Amino acid sequence: MRFTFTEAQEAFRAEVREFLRSEIEAGTFSTQCGDLIQPGSREFSQKLAERGWIGMTWPREYGGQGRPYVEKAILMEELFRVQAPIGYHFLADRQVGPALIHFGSEWQKEHFLPRIVRADEGVAFCLLFSEPNAGSDLAGVTATAVRDGDDYIVNGQKVWTSAAHAADYGWLLAKTDLDSSANRYESASEFIVDMKTPGITVRPIVNMAGQSHFNEVFFENARIPAKSLVGEENAGFKQIMAQMDYERAGLERLMQNYPLFEQLKQHLRDTDPSETPEAFRAWARDQVAQLEIEYGIGRLLCYHTAWTIDQGKAPTAQAAMCKAFCTQYEQRVNDMASQILGPVCQIRRGVAWSPLRGDLAESLLWGPSYTLQGGSVEVLKNIVALRGLGLPRK
Amino acid sequence: MDFGMDEQTAIVRDTARKFFREQCPSSRMREILATEEGYSPEMWRQMAELGWLGLVNDESYGGSGGTLFDLFTLVEEMGRALLPSPFFCSSVLSGPLIEEAGDQDLKKALLPQMIRGEKILTVALLGGEGRPDFDDPTLRAHPVDGGRYELTGTRLLVPFAHVAGGILVCAKIEGAASDGPTLFLVDPNTDGLECVPLDTLTKERTFALRFNRARVDGDRIVGGLGQGGAHMGHIWPKATVLKCAEMLGGMERVVEMTVAHVKERHQFGRPLGALQAVHHACFEMATCLETTRLVTTQAAWLLSQGLPAAKDLAMAKAWCNDAYKKCAAIGHQLHGAIGFTEEHDMHLYSQHAKASEMTFGTSWHHRSRVADELGI
Ligand SMILES: Cc1cc2nc3c(=O)[nH]c(=O)nc-3n(C[C@H](O)[C@H](O)[C@H](O)COP(=O)(O)OP(=O)(O)OC[C@H]3O[C@@H](n4cnc5c(N)ncnc54)[C@H](O)[C@@H]3O)c2cc1C
Repeated sequence: MRFTFTEAQEAFRAEVREFLRSEIEAGTFSTQCGDLIQPGSREFSQKLAERGWIGMTWPREYGGQGRPYVEKAILMEELFRVQAPIGYHFLADRQVGPALIHFGSEWQKEHFLPRIVRADEGVAFCLLFSEPNAGSDLAGVTATAVRDGDDYIVNGQKVWTSAAHAADYGWLLAKTDLDSSANRYESASEFIVDMKTPGITVRPIVNMAGQSHFNEVFFENARIPAKSLVGEENAGFKQIMAQMDYERAGLERLMQNYPLFEQLKQHLRDTDPSETPEAFRAWARDQVAQLEIEYGIGRLLCYHTAWTIDQGKAPTAQAAMCKAFCTQYEQRVNDMASQILGPVCQIRRGVAWSPLRGDLAESLLWGPSYTLQGGSVEVLKNIVALRGLGLPRK
Repeated sequence: MDFGMDEQTAIVRDTARKFFREQCPSSRMREILATEEGYSPEMWRQMAELGWLGLVNDESYGGSGGTLFDLFTLVEEMGRALLPSPFFCSSVLSGPLIEEAGDQDLKKALLPQMIRGEKILTVALLGGEGRPDFDDPTLRAHPVDGGRYELTGTRLLVPFAHVAGGILVCAKIEGAASDGPTLFLVDPNTDGLECVPLDTLTKERTFALRFNRARVDGDRIVGGLGQGGAHMGHIWPKATVLKCAEMLGGMERVVEMTVAHVKERHQFGRPLGALQAVHHACFEMATCLETTRLVTTQAAWLLSQGLPAAKDLAMAKAWCNDAYKKCAAIGHQLHGAIGFTEEHDMHLYSQHAKASEMTFGTSWHHRSRVADELGI
């Protein structure tokens, strides 16, 4: 047992921190919060790649470093602390790589993994799961992929696809067994789709923060080669559930508004006690201490999940609990910050009156998404109850 | 980061769990609670034989030389079983306090007896207002002839004072050069000390002590004049985290009991546990438990390593208080009326949650420490 990091881990953290400090100093990126993952640039991702910080946990044979998840968590914690712009490689690193390593064909592994690890041009991914009528109930997807010779032909619509407009590839879930009597959990498959394939149209959706972050994606007879199928045909739902166990509990679920919380604490330190009523100060201290406790616990949950994966165990219920806990904490942060800062919390970036660099208003605008994307809190609670506690379904 | 349990600790846990499962099932626990002593002398002897009463005391006094972490695990199991015993006041508080503060003669005389189970010790922590006041106690010590003192004042909620062979108290010596409070070891049978039994939420034996010019000899001062507050302050964090361990154990049992209940009980033609409202309530309990385990284990580990732990400890106790209480409230709700009966165990745990929330600092107190650490 050990609740501190090893010297080597501390050294690694220091190295990452130093790299980020010099990047910030050079003006490469701002540390403001907003989106789950700050939209990235390939140049920045390449700098990480040069240091071996993409695909860190993957086996060496695929260009990875074979390092433990706990070390990856250290890297991610440092990146999120300053909201580093890792959007170019984030999904490929978190989701696509591990899924390919588990389920991909040799060709897929050789074709994608080394390029992702190097942050080569043309390997930005998006996730094509949700549909207008299949959100939480992912087994209800109706987009279809029908085998036609050496190809599949894809039809249907996806929605809420983050960064589809910037993606080179999409990771698609589509029905492959169209027999209406087929088991709904055993009739969809996973594919990797080149987003430039004719028949694919991406239409931006403006979110409530005013940004075109996610999209609608339409497939009209889009023809993709059969070798795009990942894993087994009709096993897509099960594969995704297994992938999610591993990728659900990253520190991004705790730290989307980390700079906001840091600034809130600093704001209270900087406030002249004689200028605030004593009762307010006592209240604010109590509330912020509570958030600090929750943050500390959320962090333990994330590291514990990473450690569990390093022990070779599937962290199903644990990861679900972690994400549910952390995302709810994030929502409390912006609410509490607004109660402490008062009416100016509404003022967005760009003017002197906007408090905490405008991160607060931004977090209030993004807040409702925290507990939805990547599986809603309610669905996560179901997972803990059913799979963790073994409660009956009916 | 390594969340794995050491082999040694796992042995303590397994032994303790088995012991309490066999020796202290809920039926037995209730019998013990109903006795005059409020603990089982027989089980106390067995615990002494297992080396538990001096688990963290030095081997030279007959202790087992275990780690704080071993003790954490043992106390967790006691909490799970809700063992009625003077273990906390005697082995968690007094033993380490004597070892920390006492001189060689006292340690040699007292610790082996305590560790063998022949003498129970307790600590009177709370003043008449019901707050721990070892920094500035309301209890006064008036020096009289022959190097003796007369103690005057009130102590509240002193556990197992009726069977204790010695009571540790902090008192302020009137007219002393040193300002700090002094630790005394008081004989419970001393004249001028009245021991009033209190009926409280839990059935644990606990007392109000009225000191009315109660005489103590100067040689019953433990750890030097004016040093009492410092000694208490030194063992306080460890005792606090061990209280968290006890609460963690209690929570485990509440979650177990409740999850089993909702799987078992049927309404509307299906188990309660098939209803989503119940799923989500159980999720809350499971989360309380898991988070409490992580945050308290972290504090215990840091303290056992002698690393700075002020903030982590405050986080642990604040969280533990709220989480145990929440678990108990959900537990009651999901049990329905049966959980409101004397016969059912649920109330023993919910009252334990309340009683332990009130010791070693309420949530507000600890959050205030966290805020101090944050510099806000
Ligand atoms: C910012 C953002 C980015 C996203 N990016 C992507 C992406 O890149 N790719 C992608 O495929 N998807 C993406 N999503 C979609 C996301 O995965 C879905 O929003 C999520 O799975 C919920 O589905 P839904 O929106 O259809 O809500 P619904 O499934 O309709 O749910 C609505 C409400 O009902 C509750 N509910 C549903 N089922 C249950 C149940 N069984 N028990 C209890 N309550 C239930 C939900 O918890 C929720 O509160 C994104 C979403 C957001 C907000």
